[in-house]
Amino acid sequence: MKREHSRISPPGWATRLLQWYCASHLLEEVQGDLEEEFEYQVNRHGIAKARIDYIRNVLGFIKPFAIKRKKSPYANSSSGMNMFNHYVTVAFRNVVRQKSFSAINVAGLALGMTCCLFIFLWVRDEKAMDNFHANGDRLFLLYQTVSGNGQTTGSYSTPFNVIFNLRKDSAATDALDELALAIPELEMTSAYMTGYELPWGHPETFQVGEKMQKFKGSRAGKDFFNMFSYPILAGNPDKALHDVSSMAISRSMAEYFFDSPEQAIGKSMRYENRLDFVVNAVYENVAPQSSWQFDFLLNWDAQLRTLDFPSHQIYTSFLLDGNADPKQVEVKLNQFLQRRVDPKAPEKVSLGLRPFGDQYLYGNFVNGKPREGRMLYVKIFTGVAIFILIIACINFMNLATARSLKRAREVGVRKVVGSSRSSLIRQFFGESILLSFVALSVSVILLQLLLPLFNDLTGKHITSPIFNPVYWYAALSLAFITGLIAGSYPALYLSSLKPVRILRGALTFTHSAVWFRKGLVCFQFALSILLLIATIVITSQTNFVQNTNLGYNRDNVVYIQIEGELNPKYALFKERALKMPGIAMVDRSTEAPHGMGFVVDEKDGFNETNTGDDAINWEGKKNVSVGFKPASVGYDFVNIMNLEIVEGRGFSKSFATDSADAFMVNEEALRQMGMTDPIGKWISAWNKKGHIIGVLKDYHVSSLREPIKPLLIDVKEYEYFGVIMLRLEQGKTAEGLSSIERVCKEINPNYPVAFQFMDEEYNKLYHSEQVVTKLTNTFAVLGFVISCLGLLGLAMFTAEQRTKEIGIRKVLGATIVSIVNLLSKDFIILVAIAFGVAAPVGGYFMSQWLQGFAYRIDMGWWIFAIAGITALSIALITISIQAIQSAITSPVKSLRSE
Amino acid sequence: MKGSYLGEFEEIVLLIVAMLEDDAYGVRITHEIIEQTQRSVRLNQVHASLHRLEEKGMIVSKFGEPTQERGGRRKRIFTITAFGRTTLNEMKEVRSRLWSLLPSTMKIEGI
Repeated sequence: MKREHSRISPPGWATRLLQWYCASHLLEEVQGDLEEEFEYQVNRHGIAKARIDYIRNVLGFIKPFAIKRKKSPYANSSSGMNMFNHYVTVAFRNVVRQKSFSAINVAGLALGMTCCLFIFLWVRDEKAMDNFHANGDRLFLLYQTVSGNGQTTGSYSTPFNVIFNLRKDSAATDALDELALAIPELEMTSAYMTGYELPWGHPETFQVGEKMQKFKGSRAGKDFFNMFSYPILAGNPDKALHDVSSMAISRSMAEYFFDSPEQAIGKSMRYENRLDFVVNAVYENVAPQSSWQFDFLLNWDAQLRTLDFPSHQIYTSFLLDGNADPKQVEVKLNQFLQRRVDPKAPEKVSLGLRPFGDQYLYGNFVNGKPREGRMLYVKIFTGVAIFILIIACINFMNLATARSLKRAREVGVRKVVGSSRSSLIRQFFGESILLSFVALSVSVILLQLLLPLFNDLTGKHITSPIFNPVYWYAALSLAFITGLIAGSYPALYLSSLKPVRILRGALTFTHSAVWFRKGLVCFQFALSILLLIATIVITSQTNFVQNTNLGYNRDNVVYIQIEGELNPKYALFKERALKMPGIAMVDRSTEAPHGMGFVVDEKDGFNETNTGDDAINWEGKKNVSVGFKPASVGYDFVNIMNLEIVEGRGFSKSFATDSADAFMVNEEALRQMGMTDPIGKWISAWNKKGHIIGVLKDYHVSSLREPIKPLLIDVKEYEYFGVIMLRLEQGKTAEGLSSIERVCKEINPNYPVAFQFMDEEYNKLYHSEQVVTKLTNTFAVLGFVISCLGLLGLAMFTAEQRTKEIGIRKVLGATIVSIVNLLSKDFIILVAIAFGVAAPVGGYFMSQWLQGFAYRIDMGWWIFAIAGITALSIALITISIQAIQSAITSPVKSLRSE
Repeated sequence: MKGSYLGEFEEIVLLIVAMLEDDAYGVRITHEIIEQTQRSVRLNQVHASLHRLEEKGMIVSKFGEPTQERGGRRKRIFTITAFGRTTLNEMKEVRSRLWSLLPSTMKIEGI
């Protein structure tokens, strides 16, 4: 059948060819005729000849009249379509004809866009922080503003038993419950406190059967899961934290202990070998978009009644009534507060509300109110993204302007033939948008490849945005806008040229056009130099922070948390550890010495001493407020930390009184207390009264962002919290660590062994600075790469323009050096001007940034010198690539033909 | 006057269209030309000519009935317009006038 059919039918491919090229309104008639003719030929000359004839006919019909489509009454115009095809062709030819120019253009744009897309992803991720809660618009976080002593400070930390001035024993009745009763607009309230952060927090140990592991968890009020959107996998959100023995755990914790979330419900877990909690709910692992991270949650009442306070950072959040006005609630909160505080207290406390989602981006307090914080970085990097894109666009414009000499003739001919200005504008915009879309596809691929690296750099968990429509909108509009900006100058300038002028002779640029081009190059180099200055300053500040002498030796120091048997058996532990290989010294402190967060001043101690006196008092105290950082340490603290004593002596077991009577302070404390000749004067901390036996040289007890605070230390080898520090012998780290592990397992078998290196933990205090350093480094490099691409393009163009001139100069005896000089001189002046503009601006901005550090580098002239020399040499190298190439070209070549 | 000019081949096609009356479509016209003039003519040439003639307004076309040997496709039937007929007449008159003006020797040889 098939064979029969194919025998009497014309060749299929020829028919298909016909159907493809022939206009639809003619196809029926033509195909009919051809088939009829085929039948006729078959009857007359046989199949073979008929087929050949058919093919000849099909090919014969490839003529304009048959191909040309009929004008549809609805389409704009078929000639417009043709012009579009023509523009695409011309654009394509231009790209191909000038390969290196085009490559520079596309590469520059693609790099710029990649940066922009990355920054877009980063900014979006930053803004998503804490903004995923379903009740987000009604969730507010409380902050307090404290003013006194001419200072106003603020914090999101609102410890109620302190600011509401409750007696310690009454802390068990949660002040929040009282507050919720007094202010009806507060639909739900919850306190929140981490259990694992400085000053006293640490990962806590849980045990089920044989399984034992440390987890980082927090404490929260009973409405927590109804206020916030942490999805519950099993159990009831209402009952998750409803009594003192209840707890909620994350999916990963449930899977670790019970294999699945469902099986965890109702099970009991041993906490720190002393309390039991029942799992009432399992929630999905907390997303990285949450500032609050917790593997488990304990009930707030349990915190108040049975647990030790791991932190003084207590957050209070409210879910407001749908109709409530946050301003009104703020007023009521302050009224509530004022009724309870002591009007004679030296410091005034007031409360404020901030939308919950703002806490991450607005974490810094200015004059006691939350102002900037991460938002500053978001703004800076948005600015950087725009900068880089502008630089890329400028390159494009610059090249297009330079090339316009060649394109000008085309414009002239087009105008003479009758092209309108608007169609020329459309053509040039079309070209630049086309190129920018090519660049976009390159940068989308780049983004995909570099995303893991980027996540590593920023410590984020951004997933590939390929399937996210928002990303595509952003990317496409980015390409479109880039195309428009980049194409604006050629489109508007070239289209305005007068054909008579262009076609009469060679087009020369007017002075203003030349200045425009130079201005653009100058501008982008200024931007790059600005970024470079920022990079140098930020990098050296970060280095300074990490390498500065803190006044103590943090190398080779490991610390472990005091927990379980470690406190009661501390003496035994110390004895055993010192005998083990690799351990040089052992001592203890109530706070990790590199990041002491606890500050005590008048208001803290007010109700905590038997006498109702201030927490810290001293001989000859006048009415001054001194914020002390107190710590209780072991006898060897001064030795293990390598601290310097400027006056008096350190703690020693040979003085019997040292365990109960001795205090040491630092120089800053003396200065603030106004004390001279301190040795032997009395000082008291809470209920302990003693005498100052020694003065320590000032050392940094926290990050360099804050100035050194007054320090007060005493010996207490019996506190149940804090850390044990061990100094390892130089070069015996591995041995020392395994020794620690063995001793811990022996003395404290109910807790897993976990240790931290002090230098690593110290560096973690500067995590955000490190991220910013890496990012600015990257952006400065990129900025330079992009502006060099631009410079290179321009140098290539200049060299091309002056090919003849160079040839003639060489014939007349110019040396290669003089020609390179000739080509480089113009650009070097531009870079110098750019430096002149960028240096003061960069200096101003960076000194502003350095204000955030109490200890900072001086912005010496060397920073600007390095930036200037670097920029100059990069520019020189770039230009030389082209300049040398054209200088060594044989003049025969350049002068041979027109 | 635009379109009043006819090429030699166009003139023949137009004459054949007029001659065939209601049966003037591609294949038929081609075969008729071959038969009457002994020229080897291809289908596409005829189509191109018909196309131009239609553009010039000498002929109009409409679709006829579909037939079996065309695979069920319709024919496009061409009919000469009044303008086409006038043009043909004018051309004929011009020629006969020119013939009448020829010297007699030529006439005899020509005949």
